[in-house]
Amino acid sequence: MNKRYKSGLFNSLNPTRYNLERWSYTLHRITGVILALFLIAHIFEIYHVTLGIAGWNQTMEELSNLGVIELIGMWIIAGSALYHGANGLRLILNEVFGLLLGKPRLPEYPYSPLSLGRNQKIAIYTITLIVVALWIWAGLYLLAGLGIVRW
Amino acid sequence: MTRVRILRNDGSKQWWQEYDVEPRKGSTVLDLLLNIRETHDHTLAFRHSCQMGSCGSCGMVINGKPSLACQTRIADLKSEPLFNDTIRIEPLYSYPVIKDLVVDLDDFVNKHKSIKPYIIRKNPEELEEAPMEFRVTPAENLNFIQFDYCIMCGLCVAACPTVSLDPQFTGPQALAQAYRYIADPRDEGFNERQSILDTSHGVWRCHFAGSCSYVCPKGVDPAKAIQLLKREILKRKFVRGKAGASVAVVVQPEKSISNAPKAPPLDFKMEADQHE
Repeated sequence: MNKRYKSGLFNSLNPTRYNLERWSYTLHRITGVILALFLIAHIFEIYHVTLGIAGWNQTMEELSNLGVIELIGMWIIAGSALYHGANGLRLILNEVFGLLLGKPRLPEYPYSPLSLGRNQKIAIYTITLIVVALWIWAGLYLLAGLGIVRW
Repeated sequence: MTRVRILRNDGSKQWWQEYDVEPRKGSTVLDLLLNIRETHDHTLAFRHSCQMGSCGSCGMVINGKPSLACQTRIADLKSEPLFNDTIRIEPLYSYPVIKDLVVDLDDFVNKHKSIKPYIIRKNPEELEEAPMEFRVTPAENLNFIQFDYCIMCGLCVAACPTVSLDPQFTGPQALAQAYRYIADPRDEGFNERQSILDTSHGVWRCHFAGSCSYVCPKGVDPAKAIQLLKREILKRKFVRGKAGASVAVVVQPEKSISNAPKAPPLDFKMEADQHE
């Protein structure tokens, strides 16, 4: 059999020419990978507890010396967790409870799928607004931790 | 004059080929392709049949979006904001290419077959000799008729990001058809289909990107069918506690209608001269 045309990771994550939900899907996947990498790094970090008090303090000191890089990293992780969590709740409503999809109906031209309809759009825009607001708040909180912004 | 860029493929190599054609008012992409084959290049291969969006043969990727060539008007493409005077045509994504725009649909059809797209009864003899009339009320019919409109064009599979990553994924078309039969009150085949659907390459691989519904030319909305299928599987596994019950209440005509018509025997023959 010939090779499948244009299949693979890039095509899977490319949402251009598609619907809003496809953009949401792409962002959900990317934030999921960021959180998975963070989890691995976090487990590696807390493993240093086994090195004793001195080893742990040294690890904490090295991490705090990262400064702005740590700040940006934490901010990206906070954004990923917020988006992945909020969008995950929407997906649970869709997939487990069958909500926001509309009832099956007789298709009438011009076709507009109800599962990508008004309810879904409202949910996605609401999630985006809440996540962006909380992400800005998280950024200010992190800057306050470094003493750049007064909290 | 409109420039058409087509991704050609002879089975061993692929290349982009450009044609300049003059579309007539109201022309579709399929009209342009037929024009190219008649006047420019008779070696260009593509499938088409009904030319009215009913057969699903002319599926291809037009300017990055899986579409039916016969349903895509040139004027609509030109009115798109990012249109740059070139129509780019490729074979459907995630399918093996046989030649030019003709793709291999074997895997697609096999997946459709795998979900048993027909009415299943616990007693198979009922399909040969129906003991009663199996009724579907208009309200019950609305639960699945939308998914019955599928013309198997394969656009949903080309648009699906999960198919792109996982070739073993059952795919939106087959899953939507599985729900169509599971939601049918005449069907009793949930248990038979569950071994195919309730797997890591089955319904749970779908992450609801919705692209299948977005590109569907018949308003079938496979994404909705798949999410409802997930809900149905969870409900039967955890809420009802046992699998095999129907989605809708099955009307038992032999109980509700005392004089329900019986199906004719298998050896029944119409006698041509009966009324002479």
